[in-house]
Amino acid sequence: MLLDYDRLGWLRAALAGFTALVAAFLLLPVIFIVLLSFGSSRWLAFPPPGWTLKWYQELLADPAWIDAALTSARIAAMVAILAVVIGLLASFSLVRGEFRGRQLLRGLLLTPMVLPVVVFAIAIYAFFLRIGLAGTTTGFVIAHTILALPFAIIPIATALEGFDKSIEDAAIVCGASPLQARLRITLPSIRIGIFSAAIFSFLASWDEVVVAIFMASPTLQTLPVKIWGSLRADLSPVVAAASSLLVGLTLALMVVTALLRRRLSR
Amino acid sequence: MTRPFLSIRAVRKAFGAFVAVHDVTIDVPKGEFLTFLGPSGSGKSTTLYAIAGFQDPTSGDVLLEDKSLLAVPSHRRNIGMVFQRYTLFPHLSVAENVAFPLRVRGRPDSEVRRKVADMLALVRLESFAGRYPGALSGGQQQRVALARALAYDPPILLMDEPLSALDKKLRQEIQAEIRRIHRETGVTILYVTHDQEEALHLSDRIALFKEGRIEQIGTGEDLYLRPASEFVAGFIGNSNFLTAEHLETENGTAVVRLADGSIIKGVKATHALGHGQKARLMVRPEAFRLMPAPGNASLAVEIVDTAFFGDRRRVVARTGSGEEIDVRPTSDTAEPGDADSASGQQIFFDPAAAFLFPA
Repeated sequence: MLLDYDRLGWLRAALAGFTALVAAFLLLPVIFIVLLSFGSSRWLAFPPPGWTLKWYQELLADPAWIDAALTSARIAAMVAILAVVIGLLASFSLVRGEFRGRQLLRGLLLTPMVLPVVVFAIAIYAFFLRIGLAGTTTGFVIAHTILALPFAIIPIATALEGFDKSIEDAAIVCGASPLQARLRITLPSIRIGIFSAAIFSFLASWDEVVVAIFMASPTLQTLPVKIWGSLRADLSPVVAAASSLLVGLTLALMVVTALLRRRLSR
Repeated sequence: MTRPFLSIRAVRKAFGAFVAVHDVTIDVPKGEFLTFLGPSGSGKSTTLYAIAGFQDPTSGDVLLEDKSLLAVPSHRRNIGMVFQRYTLFPHLSVAENVAFPLRVRGRPDSEVRRKVADMLALVRLESFAGRYPGALSGGQQQRVALARALAYDPPILLMDEPLSALDKKLRQEIQAEIRRIHRETGVTILYVTHDQEEALHLSDRIALFKEGRIEQIGTGEDLYLRPASEFVAGFIGNSNFLTAEHLETENGTAVVRLADGSIIKGVKATHALGHGQKARLMVRPEAFRLMPAPGNASLAVEIVDTAFFGDRRRVVARTGSGEEIDVRPTSDTAEPGDADSASGQQIFFDPAAAFLFPA
């Protein structure tokens, strides 16, 4: 190999240093936000003069914040379910199907991942305005499901590709109908992929802000939209607390995914 | 003749312009171990899949006890099958894998438990009931797959190269297991393999496939001792083919001239050949001797190499016309002369044990 890690010599230290720097660059803002959310300064001063939980108390006492968080969770949950169901059906046809335009369909379903979000947001906002879905939960869920689909299809299709179809055939010879074989054998066998798809789609909706800003109405706001709005209105440490909770839940979900993956792949 | 248990009638399978199976017809009596043997792409697996229901034949019929199977979907055919690949359900324990066909049939728990125990005892894996497939060796997985395929007492068990992923020693062990299980259960087995030794070892009868047709069907002895064609002779066992010219046939024995000019008389004439027709003389390596016996034909050769294999020797000889011959006399016969100085050696064979095929 051209770049053999074991033979890098002193470059190894340089590589480690550079990696640490990149990680710090990515993580430091998050760490600062979390630290500031516990700081006693009203003006987000760093280092904080003292430590307090009052921003969290304020956050939890404000029905607008609770409402936004619940809205986010509700939409993300629906998106996760929809994306997994559609992702499953799509993956079966993408992986098992033999039809013209299969690659085209695959590309089309994965487009939301590469399309500039703002372009997608404007397009779907204009469309939803016309058909009266803008500012509704349904509109939110549809828009976010489209965005989440690639994150559902990729892990499910990958798992399905790694699953030997002979196993499904074996179940059918054993007496299971093709549908039974899929439900009782194939789905449990690719459950890691399905589970990852659910988490990723949930997160794709949970922390999405661009489309959400377009979709939001004064009565329907997700947590990221509320954070963004509050930042513009007044720079209060409550925003830092809300952001920390957002990061916290994301982190918790990732940890749960990692643990479950390890347990399931025995 | 009693009516056949399983009857494959003129089954033909075409994929577009390519015909994978040409009108294959076989009757299988109950309890028989029949092997479909042949090189890859010879149509043996395709024929098996038609019986399993994974591929509908283009034409023809498959009858089980006089009832056509073709209209019955795979999952209602009640056929057992062991696949080439490992097909245990990865998320179920060994016991639950074996129980699966019984559970989809809605059998009561007590029966399922009893049957699973019986089946695991049959394949001698009782102590593995709680394990998951990932923790089993390839051989163990195929034994569990066998137990699963037999759990619902199918009338026919299909096996599609089940041992091809295993190493040779393990393969032989499991072959012995399969023979025992066939003996103990009496199930009718259709077995696909490309390994002629495996076919000879396991089968009551072998159907040798070539390019979508059955070249010959019969017992292992039939195919080995009475091959119907050069292809059969070359596929089953080891064989030497010598270029020959047919001179004449009288009283059922043929006279041929080999490429080095030697005349061989008394060859069994199984094919009608004209005078001067090009032919191939096939002699098994073990039919050659280093010492003459009465009635033997002889060949003047040069010994190229000799090797000792315990029970046999292996000698490579070369005829005057440059054709190499594989000779495998038993090791108690004398060693041939030194390879370096052995020009002018002779080897011998019984012409009645040789076969003549048109070239």
